[in-house]
Amino acid sequence: MCRADGASAEDAPEPAHTGSGVDPGQTGSTDAAFTALLEDSAEDLYDAAPCGYLSTMMDGTIAKINATLLDWLGLTREDVVGRKRFADLLTVGGKLYHETHFAPLLRMQGELRGIALEMKASGGRRLPVLVSSTLKRGDGGEPLLIRTTVFDASDRRAYEEELLRRRQEAERAYAAAEQARLQAEADRERLAATLAVLQQTLLPPSLPAVPGVELAGHYHTASPDQLGGDFYDVFPLTDDTWGFFLGDVCGKGVEAAALTSLSRYTLRAAAHHDPDDPVAVLSALNTALLHDPSVGIRFCTVLYGTLRPAHDGGVTVRLAGGGHPPAFHLSAGDDGGGDRGVRPVELPGAMLVGALSGARFVTTTVDLEPGQALLLYTDGLTEARDADDQLLDTEGVAAMLAARTGPCTAAAVVADTVAFLAGLPNGTDDDVALLALGAPGAGAATAGSSTAAVSVTASEPNHVPIGSTDRP
Amino acid sequence: MTRAFRLEVRHAGAGHALIAVSGELDPLTAPRLRERGLSLLAEGTPHLLLDMSEVDFCDSSGLSVVIALWAQANASGGSLALAAVPDRLSRLLRMTATDTLIPVRHADDFGRSEPEPS
Repeated sequence: MCRADGASAEDAPEPAHTGSGVDPGQTGSTDAAFTALLEDSAEDLYDAAPCGYLSTMMDGTIAKINATLLDWLGLTREDVVGRKRFADLLTVGGKLYHETHFAPLLRMQGELRGIALEMKASGGRRLPVLVSSTLKRGDGGEPLLIRTTVFDASDRRAYEEELLRRRQEAERAYAAAEQARLQAEADRERLAATLAVLQQTLLPPSLPAVPGVELAGHYHTASPDQLGGDFYDVFPLTDDTWGFFLGDVCGKGVEAAALTSLSRYTLRAAAHHDPDDPVAVLSALNTALLHDPSVGIRFCTVLYGTLRPAHDGGVTVRLAGGGHPPAFHLSAGDDGGGDRGVRPVELPGAMLVGALSGARFVTTTVDLEPGQALLLYTDGLTEARDADDQLLDTEGVAAMLAARTGPCTAAAVVADTVAFLAGLPNGTDDDVALLALGAPGAGAATAGSSTAAVSVTASEPNHVPIGSTDRP
Repeated sequence: MTRAFRLEVRHAGAGHALIAVSGELDPLTAPRLRERGLSLLAEGTPHLLLDMSEVDFCDSSGLSVVIALWAQANASGGSLALAAVPDRLSRLLRMTATDTLIPVRHADDFGRSEPEPS
């Protein structure tokens, strides 16, 4: 009845009121307009949401599905609602996972979040999705239906696949590196085995048993690889004669070792060619070293000789020298105790081997009586330094031999000399070879037979002085 | 107690040079003497005199270089001699008969026999 008045009263608010406070009626209408602008309706929000929605009965039959999901899957509502179960929309793997894990867990827990599944999309594509579901229950708590949201996880799956690909690449790279490491290890072992065999050819061989002669040797290399420039050997020449040599190639290590081989084999071959002429044997070596282009200006110093057991139990030694330190002729002295005889066997004018064509070599004869010995050595012994850091020299070695109290047998002479070297505070950083020949004493149990002892040592890589490892 | 290895070269003119060697001649230092000696020979100084008075130690590698330089000098029509050789080295030269190849001058002769620089 009084609509016009009332209307006019409500529709014409006074301007003064506008600034006095918030008008609730005005605000409500702005929110509504805002909402209307964004979402026409809850139904449209459901249908066109940026994620998939679907609701299924407890048997899995799809009761409701939104357009977004239908669009992703390339299906129509008629294809799906009341006709398909949620599991029918999944790939085989997804279906399997749904049946075995998803559905049972959902029934038990009432909800599941962010489960990764694959759906069958249009055109045979697989659509990776993340699925969350909740169980709607009735008033009595009985399960009524399942509400499910589906998020497109293609990007995330791509990211995960990239991660996986990177990991597989890393694993392949690791496998390749591991393969290379194993190969390197195998190569290293093969080289070590090869070197071990070659080393055996460079080391002095075991000394032979020479009837009526006692032999002992010692071989130390400054190189931890047992590659040295010193060498010695004793070998049969004729029925009653044996050849022997001890020498020192200029230099150390692998290059010296190569020249060592050449020298040893040349000496042995030349000895068989000229068993009665030690000087000719040294001349042959001299020529071989001069003519081998790989030798360069390297030379060696050698004592070469023959030994023949004599009828009186002694040993006749013919000794030829090429620039080598003098051997020591040792006798026990009258009472077998002090006042040892220590005589250097000088070979004056004997030149280095391999330094000059037509080099001159010198020979002499040493008669070892029973109980006497001959010690051959390389300059690693004479160039060792004593406690005062002075070079031993031949005088120092002679003094050491004269002061010995042990028996004058080859084995004892070598053992005492090795012990003496080992006892020097500064030891030796050079190769050392020792070879002793002995005529067994009259009452010696070894008379008529032979003893031959050899020890081989090498410096540790950290240059610890002479060790005492027995030859393997 | 031993001197640091050192080489000092003094050209004496007329194709002569004096190399004063100090310290130890061993596998580490000998190649330096070889290098210096060979370059002097190659540069047209055929006559070398090695002053060994300050050599504290000489092993086979040192001896090897001395012999190599002597051979190279001889091959190119020059000469190499040693002077003021210490006792120990002198014995090494004798033991290896190197003293029968390479002239060794007595310390007292050293200097007087050298030609004056031109």
